[in-house]
Formats: sequence, structure tokens, C-alpha cells
Amino acid sequence: MQLLSKPPGSTSVRYVSSVTMEVSRVVTGRSTTSPEDSVVIKFQDVTLRDGNHALRHSMTPEFVASYCRIADKAGVYSVEVGHGNGIGASSFLIGKASHSDRDLLSRARSALTQTRLGVHVIPGFATAKRDIQPAIDLGVDVFRIGTHATEATTARKHIEYLRSRDAYVQGVLMMSHSVSVQTLVSQAKLLRSYGADAVVIMDSAGNYIHDDVRTRINALVESLDCGIGFHAHNNLGVGISNSLAAIDAGASFIDGSAMGLGAGAGNAALEAIVAIYRRRASTPLQLQPLLDMSSLIETTFRDSLPRMTAVSIQSGNAGVFSGFAPHVKSVSQEYGISQEELWTELGKRRLVAGQESMIREVAKDLMNL
Amino acid sequence: MRSLIRVAVIGTGNIGSDLCERILLHPDFELVAFVGRRPNSPGLDRMRGRIRYTLSDGIDSLSSIWPEIDGLFDATSAASHRLHWIEAQRAGKFVVDLTPSNLGRPIVPVLVGKTPQMNLETDFCANYSMVTCGGQSSAPLLYSMAVHSSGIQEVEVSSSIASRSAGPATRDNIDEYIAATENVARQITGCSVAKSILVLNPAEPPIMMRTTLHLRVNQIDLTGVSQEIRRVFPKVSEYVPGYELVVEPHMVNPDVASATVKVAGAGYYLPEYSGNLDIINAAAVETARLHFSQIR
Repeated sequence: MQLLSKPPGSTSVRYVSSVTMEVSRVVTGRSTTSPEDSVVIKFQDVTLRDGNHALRHSMTPEFVASYCRIADKAGVYSVEVGHGNGIGASSFLIGKASHSDRDLLSRARSALTQTRLGVHVIPGFATAKRDIQPAIDLGVDVFRIGTHATEATTARKHIEYLRSRDAYVQGVLMMSHSVSVQTLVSQAKLLRSYGADAVVIMDSAGNYIHDDVRTRINALVESLDCGIGFHAHNNLGVGISNSLAAIDAGASFIDGSAMGLGAGAGNAALEAIVAIYRRRASTPLQLQPLLDMSSLIETTFRDSLPRMTAVSIQSGNAGVFSGFAPHVKSVSQEYGISQEELWTELGKRRLVAGQESMIREVAKDLMNL
Repeated sequence: MRSLIRVAVIGTGNIGSDLCERILLHPDFELVAFVGRRPNSPGLDRMRGRIRYTLSDGIDSLSSIWPEIDGLFDATSAASHRLHWIEAQRAGKFVVDLTPSNLGRPIVPVLVGKTPQMNLETDFCANYSMVTCGGQSSAPLLYSMAVHSSGIQEVEVSSSIASRSAGPATRDNIDEYIAATENVARQITGCSVAKSILVLNPAEPPIMMRTTLHLRVNQIDLTGVSQEIRRVFPKVSEYVPGYELVVEPHMVNPDVASATVKVAGAGYYLPEYSGNLDIINAAAVETARLHFSQIR
């Protein structure tokens, strides 16, 4: 289980300026020929985690292993594996995973020799003792501690614990569209102060358009002395272009998934982002394995591939967590209420991930039951 | 003639302040002392002149006045509670612990005597743990569902609370919250597979606390559950008026039953959206009352 190199610990301020240098080349469209003087974008493949939302958390250890064997050749920075809401999140509330975190992670671990193995962790679902500690022991390389965009303080203990175990940690702010740029920056700084090596913002509702991403990533890159990442959802059909906007604005980590397999309308398709990125910048990434991963997803999950729909546009505009989609669908069928009406009301009430059980209550309220 | 239960509250944050207001209004109690660590803390300032002692030297403040009190409510931290309990034992007093120390006997007042482990201590010098807000809010519903189920395979307790009602201690102790809530769920159901989830929602205006239960069972009698709820919930409402069933027990799968309660606070000192803090404080006062009346 040899890594290409140790994941970066605390990166320096100079890191930001070198990203900016590269960005200027990307923006002007001139391709770079000397990779030494540029910071290479690190692509994080979330297919086997966020994609589990689209499969109702039914990913098998066998599939994880076969996907990881190809991903290992592609040169992506990390492959994230687990239940859609991260390790320890398998539940009646969100959805039971068909296979344990342990089974999925250990199969992924044996299949990955170059690429880092990552997990998503939400405090409140996962605990240090029950979930994080075993994941460290299973050989996970990248821990991503995610909280709602206003709740960074709930991640302190988990980040500090991971740092005490010398693990590499990214702090993740979910539903980042729901707060002001100022709040986002101050929450990101908290994560950094707890010891996060990098901070990633997620557009969990697929609400952003180009300028929203640019403004936020710019502000974060300017205000923090660590790598900044972006995680798109494709509810409005702009996941890929939003990811490119994040690169242009100085992000150094980009999340994506094969065929965009992910919650709601899915994520940004990694193979497309990389194909476009390769036109303009040097990268050690191989396109062919990424295309093979895409084909594998397409053929294996033909009936579950996410796409932009009337419903996804509605939920993206309403700013509601994409992972609610299957719950909204079933409650709307059960009560005979339109999905559109439900999404709008859920947006008004500003529900967050983990409040899936309220969808039923909201439906009953709407119908005066 | 009944004598009043003479108590002190230690910890001058939101929980401690709300406890004081509750105790002052309760006909069975006399609030003798409120104890903090800073002479000018806003909590102590609020109570000064309204009760006999407002003290700022922590647990040591009580050394000379132990004879004037019967019991102590601890609204500090798990670490401090361990020390406070040692002092209370020396003085022979009972303690109601609102920290997640997990030291004392977990008690949900409405279930006393209803499950094998949910009993009061027989010694006057006793330590009761108020578990967690999720534990207190789920327990009456969990009990109502569990007694009409057979073959409980799994139990899950998920709560969402207003971000503004979660102070620094809650945020730092999420893992401890989860463990303690799962522990009491195991105790009530007798089922060893328990999961607890806590979600903070920052929406404005703040949301009311909700707790949803899921039980995987071989069999459940939903009519029996509904009848049980009608018996148990009015008793909960006596000490937590804002406790309400918002989603009736129903099957989400052929073998999984679910139901949801909402907890609105009474608004003594804390705002109405702090139902999570309210329920644990109400339970603490009720536990002290039960303990004292049983012992006497």
C-alpha cells in the first residue's frame, strides 16, 4: 500500500500564489509545458461514495474493488468510498447500506496501490470511536470531516482526533450556498484552525452558477493558507462548468464522479472535467482509465444514472439537499402531492441533511392532515 | 406538613439559569444556592438577591452550607461533575447530573418503575444522570412502541435541534451524546443494536426539536402503541408541556416502524425553540422530586 507521496500536511502561503499562476494560464488558454512550476489540480473521485446515493447505498464490495483497480491507474488524487452520507451513516433515517463500511473499505484498500483511499465523515452520524478509529486501522488515507455550512464547530473534536493520529484531514462545508461568503470564510477558517489540511466547499443542493463559485473560491483562496476544494452537483446542468470555474478561481481540489454518479442530478462528470482540463494544463492524469471508469458505471448502473430533470431543477433552485430526492419521491407518491410543491416547501423551511423524516411531516402540513 | 426540597444549582450557563427559574416556580422546592466560578458572571447576577446564596468559588463554595441543602443539580461539564460527585458523596447529598458524564443512574422520570433498570436509588445519597435531550425525548415514545413489539432487532433514535440551542458543550460532546442516547435506547428496548443521530439545523426562525424513532421488529401492534401513547404522553406533558406526537406510528417497511415527536420548550428562561434543553431540565426537576418523595 505505497502512496505516490505523503499527502501534504500544512501547506504554505506560497502554495496559493503558485495556483494563481497556473490559473492565469488556464484562463488565457495557453497550455503549460513545465509542470514543475505549477500546482497540479488534485481530482478526488467520489463515485463510490456520493454515487451510492443514486444506488440507494447498495454498492457492493466486488464492484468497489473492480472500479478501484481502474481508478488506481488514472492518477486521481483519491477515491472516496462508503455510504452516501459517509461512514457510520447507514440508517433507517437516511437509508441502510447493503454492505458495511468495513467490507467496502477493505476491498477498496486492497485494490488501490497508488491512489489514496478517502472517506466522508459527518459528526452527528459517525463517531471517532465507532467509525473513524476503525477506518484509520483499515488504512484510509484521506478523511473528510463534513458539517453543514454553519456548523464547523461540531467538527473540532473529530479533526483534532485525526490530527493526533497523524491522519490527513480535509474540512468540508456542505450546503455552502445557504450562507454568505463572509460566513463561509469564517467557518472555513475554523476548520483550518482545528487542524484541517485543506477545506472543501460542497454545493450539496446544486444551486450555484458560475459566478457564485468564482466569488466563493476566490474569497477562500485569499483568506486561507491551505488548499481549497470544490464539490459540484448538477441539478441545474452546470456542474462541469462550475468545477472549471472553481479551477479558474484557484481551487486545488476538485471533486467529481464517473458519469456524474451522485445524489440528485449527480455530481460533475470527472472524465469530462479532466478531458477539458487536459486541453489547457499539464496533468499526469490519464484519460483512458477515466473513460473506462465512465463506461463501467454506464453499463453497470444503466437504470440508476442521475440526470438533470424538472425535479432536479426545482430542488436546485429551492436550494434543498440533493440526497432528499428518493425520500421526496416516495412521500409525494404516498400522499399524492406534487414533488414540486414539496421541494419548494422544504426549501422554505431550510431543511438540512439528516432531517429526512421531516419530509413526511411537511407533506402532511401541506395537505392539512 | 411537607418540607421543601432544599437544593443548590452549580453551573451558571443557560441550563443552570433555566433550572433556577424552574425551581423557583416549583411549589415543592426551595432554591438555596446558585454556584458559579466567576463573581460577575451574568448568570449569578440574575439570581443575586432572589435566593439565599449566590456563590462564585465553585464546589468549594458549598463546603460550609452543605447542611442547608438536600441535593445538588450539576449543570457544569462531565469532567467537573466527577469532582462534584465526590464532594456530594462526602456530604451525603443526592445529585442530579445534567452533564454527559454517564456516571449516575440514567433516569427518564415518566418511565420509573416501567422497565427493569429504570428505578430510583434506595440510598438518599444518589447520582442520577439525565442522559441526553435525545434520550429524554425518545424514551416515552420508545417505551410505548417497545412494549407492544416482539423481537426488536434494531432501534434508531434521530434528533434534529436548532443550531442556536446547541452550546459549546453540546458541540464538543456529540460523540458522548450519541453513546449515551444509544445506551438508554438499549436499556428501554432490551435490544443491543442501537443507533443515534444528531443533526443541527441553523434555520431562522429556529426549528423546534424533533426526535424520530425507527424500530425493526418481528411484530408490532400499532393500535396497542397508539393506546399506550395516549396513556404515557399526558404524564410527560405534566412536566414538559410542549411534548407532542407529530407523526403517528406507521410502518416504513414491512418490519420497520417509525414515529416522530416534537418538543417545544416551556420558555422559562430559555426560548421556546430550546425544547432539547427544556426537556432535560424538566426531567431533572421531576427526578429530584421523585427521589426526595420516595426516600421520605
